[in-house]
Amino acid sequence: MNLDDLTRTSGEWLRGTGPESDIVMCSRIRLARNLADFPFTNRASRGEKLEIETNFKSCLGSAGLDLSYFDVNNMATLDRQFLVERQLISRELSSGEGPRGVAIGPQENISVMVNEEDHLRIQVMLSGLSLHEVWDRINRLDDQLEEYLSYAFSPQLGYLTACPTNVGTGIRVGVMLHLPALVQTKQIDKVFRALQKINLAVRGLYGEGTQAFGDFYQISNQQTLGKSELELIRILTDVVPQVIQYERTARQVLMNERRQHLHDQVSRAYGVLKTAHTISSEETMLLLSSVRMGINLGLIDDLEIATVNELFIQTQPAYLQKIQGNELGVEERNVARASYLRSRLGNGRHFESE
Amino acid sequence: MIAFRRMDGRLMTCQHCDEEATVHLTETVGGRRRDLHLCAACAKEAGVALPDSPPSLALDSVIQSFIVSNVGELVGELAGMTCPDCGIKFMEFRARGRLGCPHDYRVFSGGLLPLLLRMHGATRHVGKVGRSRPAASRRLRLRTQLREAIAREDYELAVQLRDQLRHKDADA
Repeated sequence: MNLDDLTRTSGEWLRGTGPESDIVMCSRIRLARNLADFPFTNRASRGEKLEIETNFKSCLGSAGLDLSYFDVNNMATLDRQFLVERQLISRELSSGEGPRGVAIGPQENISVMVNEEDHLRIQVMLSGLSLHEVWDRINRLDDQLEEYLSYAFSPQLGYLTACPTNVGTGIRVGVMLHLPALVQTKQIDKVFRALQKINLAVRGLYGEGTQAFGDFYQISNQQTLGKSELELIRILTDVVPQVIQYERTARQVLMNERRQHLHDQVSRAYGVLKTAHTISSEETMLLLSSVRMGINLGLIDDLEIATVNELFIQTQPAYLQKIQGNELGVEERNVARASYLRSRLGNGRHFESE
Repeated sequence: MIAFRRMDGRLMTCQHCDEEATVHLTETVGGRRRDLHLCAACAKEAGVALPDSPPSLALDSVIQSFIVSNVGELVGELAGMTCPDCGIKFMEFRARGRLGCPHDYRVFSGGLLPLLLRMHGATRHVGKVGRSRPAASRRLRLRTQLREAIAREDYELAVQLRDQLRHKDADA
């Protein structure tokens, strides 16, 4: 697999299948792991980071894992950004220094970052609400890696991590939700406050500190010590269905009380996306969000949910530049984005890009 | 940056390779004065330059202020404590929010346990149990000694330590 192959496919987690996939975009779990015989990444010398990377790569071979390794240290900025957009690496790994990389599995379900804040950040994602299946997969992968790597583990404190916020299980269990009706009915803040009270974090599409866009919100645990992985998963599987229910109720209220208005908003959004000749990333996210809800409410019937899910990622700057094959300024990107949207949404008709 | 020149006017080269030396150290070891001229890469390797600085410290400011407010004003022993393996001081952790190596959890347990209790409401791991491999933790100690030996230019000891590490790697 190489990076250009990735531009021709899209991640399984965008497929829009699996339980509750009208609202739950995907379920994801990450595990933070460190090798016992090296300082943490922020304290490791270049030589030590290289050794960590070498150990990990040889472990991939020994364990017979079907993952392709990409050297992020020697990667062009655009390619790094492309991997961030696809949720395969973090911004922190992208902007880091020294030997570091990522191993990516087929269908983009798996990514293992090497020399991020922790030596290993293992991530598994699946579309829909399917945390138990994600846990089974990541737990198995973690076992396979541990056959060949000595993890830093203490019986009292569990898996030892560079930041004490991750120590113990090293787990972050997250569910990405599409909540446009809660945003429109101005109830989203109420939901956030309730989640924070029970120690759950809410983040945007691109993780820590980024603003939610496209009305996507990621709910995840903060506590990692003192509760088992399955207990932490259970908290999410208890809470997420309630949030889904709030969103469904809010959608129903919109349908019952403001149906004309809603239908108009959704159709206009779809119309603009199909016909615009220049469009910003922000406007695209906003309109795609309306269209996505419109499909789920039966207001649009000639578009697949998977296509819309993909477009959230494929209208991002790095992807557009990758498929154009050259760097583009903001204005050029807006034109390229509009052209790409027209070609994808043109009811099967392919428009020539001007 | 000052470019050091030799008597003949040529640029000083690194004592370990042929790159231009950009790190110049004069120190007294055991009463003897010693000059060290290294290029940036070799200096980093030898542990005399700081390791790669963390990228922009993209640390969640919430976590950061949480650590500062819960670790409080440090007094006495904890304030001056340094991990013998990674060299990080507890004060540095308090300022930056990142620990330096797995041993820090033991070395700084007095300061960390109250913090963990406030953060997670617990101080004991429940959940998946990793394999215990005590040899790996001994390798971390050996690696520290190796770094120090190279910095002191004690190459005889460095070779011994490297062999021991290889030996342990083969055991692991």
